[in-house]
Amino acid sequence: MSRPSLTRRQLLMRAGAFGAAGLSLPALLGAGAISATSGKASPRTRPASRRPASGGGELYVENWPSYIDPSEDDLVGTVDRFMEATGIDLTYTEAFNDNNEYFALIQPILGRGETIDPDIIVPTGWMAGRLINLGWVDELPLEEIPNAANLRDDLVNPPWDPDGTFSLPWQTGFTGIAYNIDVTERELTSVDDLFDPAFEGKIGMLTEMRDTIGLILLSQGVDVSAISSFDEAAEAFAKLEQVKSDGQIRAFTGNDYLGDLESGNFAACIGWSGDVAQLTVDNPSIRFIIPESGGISWADTMVIPKGAENRTEAAAWMDFVYDPVQAAQLTAWVQYVSPVKGVQEEVAKIDPDLAENPLIFPTEETLAQVHGFANLDEDTEAEFDEAFASIVGA
Amino acid sequence: MTATVVEPDQTQRVRSGRHVERIGLGALLAAGVLVVLLGARVVTGPLAILVSALLFVTIVGFIVIAILGGPEARRQLAPYGLLKPGMLWLALFYLAPLFTLLKQSLSSLPSRFAVEAEFNWSFGNYADALTDFRGQFTRGFQYAGAATILCVVIGYPLAYVIAFRGGRWKNLLLGLVVVPFFTSYLIRTIAWQSLLADNGPIIDWIERAKLTGPMESLGIMDNGRLLDSAWAVIGGLTYNFLPFMILPIYVSLEKINPALVDAAKDLYSPSTRAFRRVVVPLSLPGVFAGTLLTFIPAAGDFINAEYLGNPNTTMIGNSIQDQFLVQSNTPLAAAMSFVLMAIITVAVLVYTKFMGTEELA
Repeated sequence: MSRPSLTRRQLLMRAGAFGAAGLSLPALLGAGAISATSGKASPRTRPASRRPASGGGELYVENWPSYIDPSEDDLVGTVDRFMEATGIDLTYTEAFNDNNEYFALIQPILGRGETIDPDIIVPTGWMAGRLINLGWVDELPLEEIPNAANLRDDLVNPPWDPDGTFSLPWQTGFTGIAYNIDVTERELTSVDDLFDPAFEGKIGMLTEMRDTIGLILLSQGVDVSAISSFDEAAEAFAKLEQVKSDGQIRAFTGNDYLGDLESGNFAACIGWSGDVAQLTVDNPSIRFIIPESGGISWADTMVIPKGAENRTEAAAWMDFVYDPVQAAQLTAWVQYVSPVKGVQEEVAKIDPDLAENPLIFPTEETLAQVHGFANLDEDTEAEFDEAFASIVGA
Repeated sequence: MTATVVEPDQTQRVRSGRHVERIGLGALLAAGVLVVLLGARVVTGPLAILVSALLFVTIVGFIVIAILGGPEARRQLAPYGLLKPGMLWLALFYLAPLFTLLKQSLSSLPSRFAVEAEFNWSFGNYADALTDFRGQFTRGFQYAGAATILCVVIGYPLAYVIAFRGGRWKNLLLGLVVVPFFTSYLIRTIAWQSLLADNGPIIDWIERAKLTGPMESLGIMDNGRLLDSAWAVIGGLTYNFLPFMILPIYVSLEKINPALVDAAKDLYSPSTRAFRRVVVPLSLPGVFAGTLLTFIPAAGDFINAEYLGNPNTTMIGNSIQDQFLVQSNTPLAAAMSFVLMAIITVAVLVYTKFMGTEELA
């Protein structure tokens, strides 16, 4: 496993650096050049496909960076296995950098009732919920996705999609605290450790509101899965505002926190389990914990944007990745919690150690510690977003 | 008698000349306005076709008049004809977008995820821009100002040495000033991240030289770090805009005849005084151009604050970028852009008043 994992780490760091570049550049510098380096294509333009169509139709999937096993050495990646198995010409891009940013990209198109090019996009659950509420996604052709029956029981009726008819999770994971013990020189256990004055200016937090505010809320004893008004969270926002003003926080980041964590610029940060699970293998100084007060669980979920052309092919893709054998190969590389039942047995065949990793195959104990963030109604969400943007946004 | 015969003829010619000039100017301005109307999409549908037709008439009509008008008329029309491509370019790519931005800044989004902002004279955007982002505006100008001063302090001596002491190495030295431009602005800034990192080489040297204490007490270092601080942002701006300062100063210094300094010395002026009274005044146009070329883009920059700053050192450029591309609040972002433009314009006008542009090389 060490070889693919190393590659993945490098990829992540690169994706982080260039992803962040993509985040801020298009306004001033040549957007085209940056798109090329970050693999961040505009959803309006379809990148050149990898292979000529072989009669099986076409499909265009847009996902987050480093969220799939690539073909390397003697391993055949999921994209290639899928094209081999179905004859469908798949274009797979990694345009997601941040939910809000991606939304800003597709909003002017879907909002006018036009269609975007991707047939499948993979927003995080809450964003999928927003797209569903806005009517900007189509129902899934579930009758063409028999493997959807392999969906983990706890994800069958998620809060963002109560009937489960619009979305199918891609991967799920946990938000917790990642730290570099070389810098902290002690084990961390709680969210309050992030506010230790010794780490002033060496703490990273995520631009994802539900992760950052969620962890603080949990540390204040608020049940994030039942939160319904801004008042309940006001204290958490005040806390975040205060630690930011005090200079405790070095940066609000997306996936690029990994580079800072490894280099020691971050003593500790809020992070995602899969990323850190992988880093830990190569760099034992990097640790990941779910804080005592609890962590956040989330899912990135596949949806079909309204009016997408290739519904049948999209169904074929979903069906393919919901086959436990295929899903296991994906899990072995991305190291997140698979939403597919029966993956653990398949992963055990690939790498028995991995099948015992509690961050990939969570135990009852782990699951009791994590909470999903409540689905906020639109007005409340607007309040949360505004308050968060005023702290985190530039 | 002869004079009375000639005079009406001359006034006739002058009058017809004015007439022709008025046609030229009118056609030029009309074309500009029509292009703005089209470009900013003020007119749409059938009206746009009408306006396009009018635009066509102003251009073709102008040419027809020039052809039929004889050599004298052509001579008078020529300047307007030559101005036309520039005018059309300016109207289409500067005035029309500016007008669109202005309109956007006075609009509001009817709902949270609305795509089209509705124009309704919402001056509230300007109030929000000024109140919610006061800190970022202030920081933006402070950092840009500090970087500009640092650029002068570093750039002037360097330009001086290249211009007066460069000798045969002059071109090579100038080349070295420009060489960093061969690498992307972004890459150069990200490179500073590695150099200034907490476990990076620069911190390492400082620690080995036992300078951590003094650096911390000077406020340049904080809790053992250089990166992600206000000084890192100012340093990045200084580094990135330095060539824009050096080159104009070099050009103005290079034009100074060394004999002038010799003359001052012949008149028993010490070198420092000769420098102060002769070289500095003659190089001021270069400093003026350099400060404008540095300050204006630095004030709107967001790359340095993005990569070398922390959440408490964001500049107004970061806020505008965030509002445009992440929050999708285009009216507010447009208002912020206008406020930024207005402040820069006023600042430059005031500065020009004191420095004067007449001597600008």
